[in-house]
Amino acid sequence: MYCILLSVFFPILSGLFLLIRYRTPLSGKTEGSVRKTLVTLTGLFLIVTALLTLSALLTAKEGFTLFYLTETLTIYFKIDAVGALFSLLAVVVIVCAGFFSFEYMKHEEREGRYYGYYMMVFGVINALCFAGNLITFYLFFELLTLSSMPLVLHNGTKEAVMAGLKYLFYSLCGAYAALFGVYFLYKNSETLTFTAGGVLKASSIAEHGSFLLVVAFIMILGFGVKAGMFPMHAWLPTAHPVAPAPASAVLSAMIVKAGVLALIRVTNLFGADFLRGTWMQTAWICLTLVTIFMGSLLAFREPVLKKRLAYSTVSQLSYILFGLAVMNEDAFTGSLLHVLTHGFVKAVLFLCAGAFIYCTGKTRADELRGIGRRMPLTLWCFTIASLGLIGIPPTGGFVSKWYLALGSLKSGIPVLDVLGPVVLLVSALLTAGYLLPVTLHGFFPGADYAGENLQKQEPSKIMTIPMIIMTILSVIVGLFPNAVVLYMTVIGG
Amino acid sequence: MIISVILIPFIAGILVPVIPFGKRWQKELFLEAAVILNSILVWYLLLHHSDSTFLLAHFTGDLNISFRVDGMSMVFAGLVSALWPFATLYAFEYMTKEEHENVFFLFYTLTYGVTLGIALAANLLTMYFFYELLTLVTVPLVMHTLTREAVLASRKYLYYSLGGAAFAFLGLIMVIVYGSTTDFILGGVLDPAKIAGKTNVLLLIYVMAFMGFGVKAAICPFNSWLPQAGVAPTPVTALLHAVAVVKSGAFAIIRLTYYSFGTDFLKGTWAQDVVMAIVMFTIVYGCSRAVKETHIKRRLAYSTISNLSYILFGAVIMTPLGLVGALTHLVFHAVMKISSFFCAGAVMHQTDRHYVHELDGLGYKLPCVFGIFTVSALALMGVPGLAGFISKWNLAQAAVASENPLAWGGVGCLLISALLTAIYMLTIVVRAFFPGKDFDYTTLAGAKDPNWKMLVPLFAFTLFIVLFGVYSQPIVEFFYGVAMGNI
Repeated sequence: MYCILLSVFFPILSGLFLLIRYRTPLSGKTEGSVRKTLVTLTGLFLIVTALLTLSALLTAKEGFTLFYLTETLTIYFKIDAVGALFSLLAVVVIVCAGFFSFEYMKHEEREGRYYGYYMMVFGVINALCFAGNLITFYLFFELLTLSSMPLVLHNGTKEAVMAGLKYLFYSLCGAYAALFGVYFLYKNSETLTFTAGGVLKASSIAEHGSFLLVVAFIMILGFGVKAGMFPMHAWLPTAHPVAPAPASAVLSAMIVKAGVLALIRVTNLFGADFLRGTWMQTAWICLTLVTIFMGSLLAFREPVLKKRLAYSTVSQLSYILFGLAVMNEDAFTGSLLHVLTHGFVKAVLFLCAGAFIYCTGKTRADELRGIGRRMPLTLWCFTIASLGLIGIPPTGGFVSKWYLALGSLKSGIPVLDVLGPVVLLVSALLTAGYLLPVTLHGFFPGADYAGENLQKQEPSKIMTIPMIIMTILSVIVGLFPNAVVLYMTVIGG
Repeated sequence: MIISVILIPFIAGILVPVIPFGKRWQKELFLEAAVILNSILVWYLLLHHSDSTFLLAHFTGDLNISFRVDGMSMVFAGLVSALWPFATLYAFEYMTKEEHENVFFLFYTLTYGVTLGIALAANLLTMYFFYELLTLVTVPLVMHTLTREAVLASRKYLYYSLGGAAFAFLGLIMVIVYGSTTDFILGGVLDPAKIAGKTNVLLLIYVMAFMGFGVKAAICPFNSWLPQAGVAPTPVTALLHAVAVVKSGAFAIIRLTYYSFGTDFLKGTWAQDVVMAIVMFTIVYGCSRAVKETHIKRRLAYSTISNLSYILFGAVIMTPLGLVGALTHLVFHAVMKISSFFCAGAVMHQTDRHYVHELDGLGYKLPCVFGIFTVSALALMGVPGLAGFISKWNLAQAAVASENPLAWGGVGCLLISALLTAIYMLTIVVRAFFPGKDFDYTTLAGAKDPNWKMLVPLFAFTLFIVLFGVYSQPIVEFFYGVAMGNI
């Protein structure tokens, strides 16, 4: 119990501490030493939080109620298998990207503010993973938007501030659509505590069944905003690229997953049996397929690397949502595997893109010719991660897509059961089309390449090690999917 | 006893220009003491109330001026008397920069008594009497600065309010003619024998009276006086135009609906649909205008328009739960909005900036004010853990439970409005704290947090916002008792 509370409130409070302690910009003579303490402190906080989270995952089995907002609305925490999986991913991504930023953020202003909000996001994500009922989840869902918005607008240009506001308002719009559903769900269900198999009252299903489907659809659209689902995806390609690279990594790899987690919770609350085979399921699958295809296509024609990666996130997240929408066991396994794969891979890709910018200042993909000679290690990470996302065996993407396709074919939904895997394949091709040219031109610039300077320009270890760790993890997920699959089956059973 | 709480503010107010105070602090002390004393008396009265009616004057028949404490009056009188001492304290500091203070404090304190008169009225006639009086004593406050703009605003306010009261008067006549009494009785007083066959006329009159009282509650299309009245000094806009005056309108509508016409008579009729549609429209309309408005106080005034209709939305659901939702928002919105208004006032007082686009970077210079403003913004949006979430939750649950499809649509309106609230409040917060890369902080030199007289009320309200958000059980149960007629 205390571990859960600590893993949530320690990072939030330490983030607040950093915000208040380092609220003024670092300046002049003291900058070096102040920065050193700031970075050391943040590093310490990150590690302590990671340890607290892990010990919470290991020790806390029982749920507990923190307090009662009213008699029936409670703030309730409970760790279940899905939450634990997301939390593990969060710990790895946030700690790695955090260490990466110690070097990357060296030349940015107002580092204190950045680390402060970064720590708060860590705590809020933990709370989301551990939330045991919909009210708690909704509370931290809103807080996640509010605490991650400053990361988006961190660099303070006009463009960044507008992107931050766009992110904020899209997310809140989604949250309120979800809240609409919460109001009706509360009235028509036994409880809002997450329980497998649905909580709707039998009498409500009989009386308001068709209206509840509309409610479910509105909730899915609402939480889907955070997961970048068509038609409310437009904020994602705007907001993710303007953030500093490590923050983009966390946004793309982890924060959008909060939307995925929300949709898992919502489908569980309504119960797959209630939703399966309805117009709502069909509509949801169609939306995800449209998003997959559109995201890949837009990424394919985008020249700026970070933007390209953001479009890729739009597409890849809908792979996960597609698995959820199909609503059978195989597809669900595929989804969770893809949560892990995409989490690691996308974090690596964004960190690599950040490393390119940090060392060479180049942002467009076509400027990166010959980069492999100057930053081979970074480009190798980028390449391996790319292969993982495309889904070439034995990387993680292959296994997850395999399960997704399998689930889709088994589902027996007319037309869509075959169309789904086709779209996945086409999108995989497009993925190859937008990621591999970076590698190809990076390593093989061609005979006419003059090679402006061929010195090694590899970033320092504090940037490369996090990338390497996550690259290795993404490969491990692909090599030993059985461990994860077994874990999923345990959840299912 | 009950009449003394109405008279003390009258006497204290009239004494302000009469007594020759030597120093400013003596006057402040005198006023603050009078107001606090009165508030203590009010609370004593509410906690030890009896069911007896105090008869002040008797006209013909059963028309009389009399006072009584029931559940509704406890809510409204308790709210007003809790806020007034804080607002007075704030006004002392704010008014140092304004002229003819004495006149201001005279009418400001008078208003306290009149508002209590509305809250404690035992029948429709008494309430109507104080309702008209409220218009008259607040006009000088709107006119206070005597600029052309202020005179125009006060004239508009006067015409709108008197016009509205005239329509409300129709309702009063109908209740006198067709009711068994004019006293407030939960469930209504219409006499079934008398109203037979006249249902539609009565419903029409109800809608007209609703619109009449709705003028003070700023329902669309009678709302344009409220943003214009924002020319008044901030203590007036904050306390009167976010709480006392406008909520008197909402209070009067609740009295009319639940205690005079009765929900059994109104529920499910076309009249309910009409007023609900008006209210739903106002909710969205107020917010949309707030997004468009760039003057801080006028923006908050439009936000008030929208939020007042939240209260009315709860009221026109016409179930006990709806009344609970309405009362919750009546109290919680008062605290949230007065807090945000006081922040706006503090900014205007400290920096003389009036427009949203002038607020860039001020969050670092006035951290307390903007911190508190952020809390009230989040509360108005309805973030869980703060007061706004609970009141919206109660409203929405009442709407869902009413099984009325129009009310379900109203839940949608509430949420659209929540999004717009986020837009117009958070743009201010973002501007204040994230002014952008090349912002020149030297333009803000000299701006700093105000002194304790302004900060104490702000912190007190913030405390209540959080307290109501995390621990609302007792107060909501109390509202439930009021709605069920147990208190």
